[in-house]
Amino acid sequence: MIAAGIDAGAATTKAVILKDNALEGYKISPTGFDFLKASKDVYRDALKSAGLKSRDVEMVWATGYGKNSVKFAPGTVSEITAHARGVNFLFPDAQGIIDIGGQDSKVILLEKGRVIDFLMNDKCAAGTGKFLEYTARALEVPIDGLGELALLSKNPASISSMCTVFAESEVISLRAKEFSKEDIAAGLVLSIAQRVAVMAKRVGLRRNIILVGGVAKNAGIKAALEKEVGTELRVPFEPQITGALGAALYKR
Amino acid sequence: MTCELKSLKRLNGAYEERIGQLVRNRKKGKKVVGTFCLYVPDEIIFAAGVDRIILCGGRNDTIPAAEEYLPRNVCPLVKSSFGAVVSKDCEGSCACPHFALVDMIVAEATCDAKKKMYELLGEHVPTYVLDLPQKPDSPEALQYFKGELEKFKETMERLTGNRITDVRLRKEIKRSNETRRLFMRLYELRRTDPPPIKGSDVLKILQKQFFLSPDKLQKTLRKVCDEAEGIKTSSGHGPRIMLSGCPMAGGNTKVPDIIEARGGTIVAEESCTGTRSFENLADEDKGPMAALAERYIKIPCACMTPNDRRVDSIIEMAGQFRVDGVVYYTLQSCHGYNIERYKVQQVLRKAGIPMLAIETDYSDSDVEQIGIRVDAFLEMLQ
Repeated sequence: MIAAGIDAGAATTKAVILKDNALEGYKISPTGFDFLKASKDVYRDALKSAGLKSRDVEMVWATGYGKNSVKFAPGTVSEITAHARGVNFLFPDAQGIIDIGGQDSKVILLEKGRVIDFLMNDKCAAGTGKFLEYTARALEVPIDGLGELALLSKNPASISSMCTVFAESEVISLRAKEFSKEDIAAGLVLSIAQRVAVMAKRVGLRRNIILVGGVAKNAGIKAALEKEVGTELRVPFEPQITGALGAALYKR
Repeated sequence: MTCELKSLKRLNGAYEERIGQLVRNRKKGKKVVGTFCLYVPDEIIFAAGVDRIILCGGRNDTIPAAEEYLPRNVCPLVKSSFGAVVSKDCEGSCACPHFALVDMIVAEATCDAKKKMYELLGEHVPTYVLDLPQKPDSPEALQYFKGELEKFKETMERLTGNRITDVRLRKEIKRSNETRRLFMRLYELRRTDPPPIKGSDVLKILQKQFFLSPDKLQKTLRKVCDEAEGIKTSSGHGPRIMLSGCPMAGGNTKVPDIIEARGGTIVAEESCTGTRSFENLADEDKGPMAALAERYIKIPCACMTPNDRRVDSIIEMAGQFRVDGVVYYTLQSCHGYNIERYKVQQVLRKAGIPMLAIETDYSDSDVEQIGIRVDAFLEMLQ
C-alpha cells in the first residue's frame, strides 16, 4: 500500500511517501504564510522524489499546526500521536520522544508505542527553535553554527531570562561585558537544554529517548540536552519527518 | 449522540427575567446581596428574607478595566469580577448591572487574590468578608467557623431588620438540600454510557445555580431530569472525560467547548461549578447553625490545607462516572489549584487514569493550542 503523510508545521512543512514499510520519498520546505500551498508543494515534490503520481497514493493523512488547512487529506491526527507512530516505526524500543520544533517543543512518554503522557510548550518561545533563531541573530552566528560554537566554550555564560525577547537583550549586555561568543552560545544552548529537560523529567522520560525536530540536527544542542536529561539521545536519519511519517502510518 | 434538551430552553430569557425580578423586589424594599463563593451559605441569606446573585466574572471583556487597578498576573476570574465593577463604560455590558443591584457584597477569605480584591471592591460597594479557617479538619476550626457564621447571620439581620429564626433556617436548609438532591439526580444520569445530557448543557445550569431564584432553579432541574431520564442514548461517542479544578464562572465555557468540539464526552465536573457545590447535604435534624457549619466547612477548596478530601473525591468520582481521562483545568495564577495538580496527578497515575493539565485564561489566544492537546489526549484514550 502506498500512503502519504503531510506535517503542516508552523515553521516547516514536510511530506512523506511510504510504500508498505519502505520510505519512497520525502520533502521538507519552509511553510510560509499559506499552509495549503506549502503542503501541496511538498506533496508534489515528495511524489517526484518517489517517482510516483498522486493517483498511485491510496491514502493521505495530515498532521501539524496547519493540519486542517490540508484540504486534500481526508483526515487528520494530532502531532503528538503522529510523532509517536513515526518514532515507534523507526525505533520500536523507544520509550520517550523529545521534539524541539520551530515554534513549540513537546515531550512524549511512550509505552509499547502508545502515548502514555505528554507535555507541550507552545505558548512561549522559550525552549523552541525560535529561541535559538532570535538569540543566534544577536550573536551574529548562523543558527546551524550555534551548537558547534557552544561546544568550544570552557566557561558558559549564565542566561537567566526565559523570555526570548529578553534573552536577546541579555545576549547584548553579555557582549558588552566582553564575554566570548563561544561562552554566550554555550549559555544559550544550556538554557534551552535545561528548559526542555525539566519538561522531560516532569513527564517521566528516562531512557530510550529519541530526539526529533529541526533542532535535533544540531550536535551542540543534542550534547547539552543529553547532559541535562542524563541519558543518550538517539536521532533519526532525518529528525524532521517523524510527524509526517506517523501521519502516513496512522490509518494503515 | 446527545442533543440539546427541550427543557433547557427554559433558561432562554431567564437572565433578563431574573434581573427584572430583582429590580422589582428591590423597589419593594427587598435587600439583595452579591456572592462569589460556595462557602457563603445561601440558607442564612434567604432566612433573612434577602435575595442573592453570584457575581463571579467569566467574561474576558471586563478584564482590561480591572488591569488599571490589579496586576496583570492575577487570576482572570478575580480580574473579570472586579472589572465588571469599575468598568466606566457599562453600556452594552451585562456584567455591570449586577453590582448596581446589590446592597452588599458577601465576600469570603479564600484565596489571596480574592481577599485583596475585596479590599478594593469595598471602596465601590459595601463589602462584608466571611472569614474561613484555613485548616478545616480540626474541632477548633469548626468552632471558629460556627462563630463566623453567627456573625454573618447578625450582619444579615442588621441589613434587613429581620430576625433569623431556627424555624426559618430549617426551612431554608430543606430547600437547599432539595436543590442538592436534584443535582445529585442529574449527575446520577450522567453515569450511563453515553450520558443523556451534554456536559456543556449541565454547565449552563451549574453556572446559573446561584444566579436564578431557588424556585426557578429547582423547576428547571426537575424538568431537565425528567426529560433526560426518558432519553434512550445510543453508543458511538468519544472518551468519557471528567473536568477537575477551577470554577468556570458564567460566560466562561472555553475548555468544555473545546473538549466537546473535538469529540470528548464530559461526564462530570469536580469543580465549584460541579460537584463541590452540591455534594454534601446539611443535616436537617441538628441545630441549624451547627448543621450549616459542618456542611460548608467540608467544601474541598484548594485554598484549604490539607485538602485531601478533594483528592479522595476525584478518585471516587473517576470510578463512579467511569471516566477514561481527567482534564485538570486551572485558571492562570490560581496557585492553589495549580499546585494541587501535582498531588492529583500522582494519585491518578497510581490509579491508571490519564490526566491532561490545561492552564488558561479567558482569552481566545490559546484555543488552537489547547485544541491540539485535547486532540492528542483523546487519541491517547481511544
